[in-house]
Amino acid sequence: MKVRRLMAALMMCASLVMVTHGTASAAKAVKTVTIATDATWPPMEMVDAGKNIVGFDIDYMNAVAKEAGFKIVYKNTAWDGIFAGLASGNYDAIVSSVTITDERKKQYDFSDPYINIGQILVVPKTQKNVKSLADLKGRKVGAQIGTTGAFEVKKVAGVELKTYDEVGLAFEDMAAGRIFGVVCDEPTAAHYALQKQEYKAKFMIVGKTFTQESYGVCVQKGNKELTELFNKGIKAVKAKKIDEKLRKKWLR
Amino acid sequence: MRLPAVPCRDKMKEENSKQPSLDVGDGAAIPTRSDRGLFTAWRIAFFGAIATLIYLAATRPDPYLNILKFIPDGILVTFKVTIGSILLALVIGLFTGLGRVARNKFINGAASLYVEVIRGIPLLVQLFYIYYALGRIIHVPDILSAIIAMAVCYGAYMGEIVRAGIQSIPNGQIEAALSLGMNRRQTMIHVVLPQAVKVILPPFGNEFIALLKDSSLVSILAVADLLRRGREFASESFTYFETYTVIALVYLIITLFFSKIIGIMEERASVNR
Repeated sequence: MKVRRLMAALMMCASLVMVTHGTASAAKAVKTVTIATDATWPPMEMVDAGKNIVGFDIDYMNAVAKEAGFKIVYKNTAWDGIFAGLASGNYDAIVSSVTITDERKKQYDFSDPYINIGQILVVPKTQKNVKSLADLKGRKVGAQIGTTGAFEVKKVAGVELKTYDEVGLAFEDMAAGRIFGVVCDEPTAAHYALQKQEYKAKFMIVGKTFTQESYGVCVQKGNKELTELFNKGIKAVKAKKIDEKLRKKWLR
Repeated sequence: MRLPAVPCRDKMKEENSKQPSLDVGDGAAIPTRSDRGLFTAWRIAFFGAIATLIYLAATRPDPYLNILKFIPDGILVTFKVTIGSILLALVIGLFTGLGRVARNKFINGAASLYVEVIRGIPLLVQLFYIYYALGRIIHVPDILSAIIAMAVCYGAYMGEIVRAGIQSIPNGQIEAALSLGMNRRQTMIHVVLPQAVKVILPPFGNEFIALLKDSSLVSILAVADLLRRGREFASESFTYFETYTVIALVYLIITLFFSKIIGIMEERASVNR
């Protein structure tokens, strides 16, 4: 018992020292920002064979962190509930291909946009005469839950939206013939429909992107310090044209 | 614990005078006849949940009333999945249970293997596996695949209940039937199974309630059930706390309602004994 008490006391002392030390040197020391990302959204963020989180967003944010002078710890988080986790303070920011929307802006703050993308429709190759979402009336179309893709499908009257936890499951369900379309961000659509060996022969992309959206870093409402930090880094990355290099590396 | 504590045969002989019964406590506590107080846990929970829902919807229509308006089709899907899978599981369970007591080595082995494999894999993993495996083999609608996946899992548990029920019938009954000139098949159909049904009924009711609750797992398969509808609402409005409060209360009301019905059915069945 005594030993245990001593240990506990020692640990408390140690943590106290760490806390005081931490606050005293926070201004000088490198700031660490915890970022949540749903690494099921290739090629923007995904888990590679070595279990590392990689992708365009990840490289981009690493460059931002380098320019603005802070450190990043990534936290792989399921998309459904990723905003709730930010609200309850489980992490400092979300970088997970988050489109800046008015609804989200009401609840959270965003950095400046760091890339512009759009939604696009992917259908099985057998659906030759589908030209847009409206042609899929009376059919089921899939999207990841809580994404702008899902919101777009919902807008089209007569098309039945089916939401998935991960976009990969939606594509698998389309391969199984349960749904007749998937709407997601254009880079991700391209990854599944053009690059994946098992889907290449089965799917095709319909036309061009039909929305204009921008990704931003999502932070808690009122966290000006962090927004400015990210904005500073994003500005520098754009000025140095690092983003164009990353585009070539990760996107078509 | 999912499986009922089954009195084994030897013990049965000792307690032959007593009616065999299988007791499982998986569902909600239902007030029995002896427990006639007004404030039983069941009543407090059931009416409390309804009152809370009404209060929330009346005082804060945004978002509570909006949530309630959004989920009814999800409740319908939850019922569809639950009832569909319990019926299919019953059929699978009946055959599995009979297989488990069969003398034919091949049939017995196959039924035992099925039970062993299914009970060794978590339901969530099975759902994923069967849903996406089925997709590769045959084209069936999503709700049907979810029902099949749930039924394949619950069929194994149901099979064990059927087996336990059959084995709880005293040997003397079988011997008597055989000595009257019935063959084994007739004995099973006319003597053993009718008696086993009464023993099986209470744990069957429990399985139904358990399945109703577990049906929320099909929401991961993109089946638009009650939980999925709630998640869709929350993901768009960011009202996570409010939405899951409603979802939990609705599940509670449904579960308690069916517990009560099953409790009444069991009471009726035991009166007939």
